[in-house]
Amino acid sequence: MSDHHITPLRTYLIIASCLFFLSGVTVWVSYIDLGSFNIVLAMLVATVKASLVAFFFMHLLWDDKKNLVLFLMSLMFFGIFVVITMIDTEFRGALGFNPETKNPITKRASFYGQLPLTDTHGYPVDSHDDIHHGDDDHH
Amino acid sequence: MSHDNSSPSFFQHHFHDVEQQYETSKFGMWAFILTEVLTFAGLFVAYIVYRSWYPDMFVGVHKLLDVNKGLLNTVVLITSSLTMALAIWAIQKNLKKLSIFMLTATFVFALAFLGVKYQEYHHKYEVGQLPGKYYSYMGPEVVEVIKDQEKIDYYTSSNNVYFDAETNRLYKTMNNPHIFFSIYFVMTGLHGLHVAIGMGLIAWLIYSTARGNIHQKYYTPMEMIGIFWHLVDLIWIYLFPLFYLIG
Repeated sequence: MSDHHITPLRTYLIIASCLFFLSGVTVWVSYIDLGSFNIVLAMLVATVKASLVAFFFMHLLWDDKKNLVLFLMSLMFFGIFVVITMIDTEFRGALGFNPETKNPITKRASFYGQLPLTDTHGYPVDSHDDIHHGDDDHH
Repeated sequence: MSHDNSSPSFFQHHFHDVEQQYETSKFGMWAFILTEVLTFAGLFVAYIVYRSWYPDMFVGVHKLLDVNKGLLNTVVLITSSLTMALAIWAIQKNLKKLSIFMLTATFVFALAFLGVKYQEYHHKYEVGQLPGKYYSYMGPEVVEVIKDQEKIDYYTSSNNVYFDAETNRLYKTMNNPHIFFSIYFVMTGLHGLHVAIGMGLIAWLIYSTARGNIHQKYYTPMEMIGIFWHLVDLIWIYLFPLFYLIG
């Protein structure tokens, strides 16, 4: 096993410094209001950090490329998972279904006893005339 | 050929040579990592779906989490990833004592991570920021005390807030905050379980390295557990901004 690539100590220290720096950056940026761009930037920084960990700490850069392919395949299937699920959940409104009507949240959390019931947009819902998702349907 | 008496003790006869044995182990480990990513993928999808349904609730409720504790845990976990990588570097360079020291440091950092996590969980348990039906929190972030009669009239007629005349308290209704905490507890909980399992594996590595079962010529288990440990770090890299740094 002596012919394995030995990553120089310097590389590890540089990568770790980058990771610490980027962690600081992502916290700092989160305090600036960029609207919906905040989440994009946060995920971008996280992906750079994750790539540094995968390529250097997990040695993917020097490994046989079949391991990288396996890892990228897991991410690809994650992408398929997200897209196909979102095609369902994001367009239920187009069919005239409020997500809560289509997939009701059982209002059993103890704090609901103190609050009037509301729909997704915060408008009051009278629990008695709700014919679409009475709890009785699930018993 | 490798089937003579000179082959090393760690060599298993069904492999062609030591190099193939190492590469096979590594490929198997990456197949396991693939299943791990897909396990967490289900939870990430739950997060994405519910966040797209309740964007304002996620932004509002995430303020109940402590960013400093989250950042502290990020730093702790990155440091532990570095010490794990250095433990492998040390064993490759045949520096047994340094390797054991680095593994011990990794173990201590993992313990620190779980300690901080325990503090966070304990606080949430105390104030009732719990998943699903156990959620009961009504603290200052969601409640305001209002004295002004004009405001009381306005809020009483408003749909998004609820004024309790008896206690003079105003409830701003964040819709379904318990869903945020359900997802938070399941995702960080499963991640925490991975940290705990990793600690057990690292403890075993310390024992094996000290006994001399893992050495410069054969450090496959350390390399594989290292990959597992970096995956734990990698998942936290995403969990941290998604829960602590929203909007």
